Amino acid sequence: MTPDLLWAPFGEFAFMRRALFGGVALACSAGPLGVFLILRRMSLMGDAIAHGILPGAALAFWLFGVSLPALTAGGLVAGLGMAGAAAWVTRRTGLREDASLAALYPISLAGGVLLLGLAGRKLDLLHLLFGSALAVDTATLYGMLGTSVFSLVVLALSYRALALDSLDPLFLRSISRFGPLAHAAFLTLVVLNLVIGFQAIGALMVVGLMMLPAAAARFWSRRLLVLLPLAALVGAVCVWLGLVLSFYASLPSGPCIVLLAGVFYLFSLVAGPVNGLLRSTPFPINV
Amino acid sequence: MIECHGLQWGAGRHPLTPPLDLQLAAGSLTAVVGSNGSGKSSLLKVLAGLDRPLAGRVDVRVPRMGGVAYLPQQQHLDRQFPIRVVELVSAGFWRSRLGRDERRAWLHQTLADWGLLDPQTQGLHALSGGELQRALLARLSLTDAQVLLLDEPEAALDDVGLGLLWQHIERWQREGRTLVLVSHNLVGLTHHHCDGLLIARSGCIKAPIRQFMAERQRLGQVA
Repeated sequence: MTPDLLWAPFGEFAFMRRALFGGVALACSAGPLGVFLILRRMSLMGDAIAHGILPGAALAFWLFGVSLPALTAGGLVAGLGMAGAAAWVTRRTGLREDASLAALYPISLAGGVLLLGLAGRKLDLLHLLFGSALAVDTATLYGMLGTSVFSLVVLALSYRALALDSLDPLFLRSISRFGPLAHAAFLTLVVLNLVIGFQAIGALMVVGLMMLPAAAARFWSRRLLVLLPLAALVGAVCVWLGLVLSFYASLPSGPCIVLLAGVFYLFSLVAGPVNGLLRSTPFPINV
Repeated sequence: MIECHGLQWGAGRHPLTPPLDLQLAAGSLTAVVGSNGSGKSSLLKVLAGLDRPLAGRVDVRVPRMGGVAYLPQQQHLDRQFPIRVVELVSAGFWRSRLGRDERRAWLHQTLADWGLLDPQTQGLHALSGGELQRALLARLSLTDAQVLLLDEPEAALDDVGLGLLWQHIERWQREGRTLVLVSHNLVGLTHHHCDGLLIARSGCIKAPIRQFMAERQRLGQVA
């Protein structure tokens, strides 16, 4: 009975199947990217970039209407432009990268909202930020699958450089020139996943899908090669169960997926074997 | 082989020393000494190509790219990073052309050399400062870099670790590698055959390390 319930919505409705395949694919690439974001101490970067892609998407919408390639290109240009500008400011002035990003993304976000106002047409801002997984059409599905496969291939190819650059960038930069290249490729993947994801489950919700499984996985293993697939698996399961929940309870799908990931994160925080709350011993000295 | 011509460096716009001209031959060992804040680590980063000099230029003549390896100070490392000691050490095989079996044998030998066979499967969080330093040095000894730049390699090492370090330094010298290390241990350095490079605002002085020891009182600020 239960397996039937878990599969029934997808067997019955094509739009649910598209949302499932697209979401699972995206979770498989977003989770590992989230693990690296955390390791590189850039956890809030995804959030900032997700806001920053708005003006590109708004401009694309203004000029071309709802068109997947245009929205993707607009979002990519805005996101990469902002991440690149933040990195450039950091390199030239020494301002910390999170600070320069925090300064740039409100500008970008405000510009996007203004553009949407100027466009005069109604692209729902809420839809852009929180999305609707049930609106995944075939083109978006292929976009998500393609992005996922591309991201995983690039991650696999640059794994060693990316891991070493996260741990010890000075050593890597002394023996190789791959460090900055790996960093740039990584940021491009983050933006690409956010841009593809924002059309399906919303810019802010996809940040949840990227960071929550990654943060939760951290409580279960101390090995990078375990954390990466674990984050992907957790994300994929949350997409599946979240869609099922949203189907039966008639709730918006994006928040269902992210909240499920949030529940798993809280569970991991309490019960996880690596520094989980239940595992840590109280400080033995009273002062 | 490293050559510096009119080299000036520093964190701000103001150079820390007058222009430095320097030649370090293959197989030489040079200890950079000077007081806190004199710019020893900054010089090492400039030599490693990690920072741009304010003026002048550095020519590092090594056979191919990847010929320079840098040992950072260990406090830069995130001790919670989810990898094991053996994975950290084997990063030294970057650009190595060795086959799989050869790598495995050499990795095992290197871990044994540095006394890391027991903690090799542990995470970085479980290591002591001295063990982490040994792991970083072990990683360095897997590279085939011809120029080795060591920022405080003696940090946190016990007597056995120090013995291992100097054993390796002497071996690297015999292999013709150029070594530059930052150290505060002037007394310890005098036991070894090396040159000193004193970094000071008034100017840099290069001389055999024992000479610095003799003039220690006058220099005051060294070690």
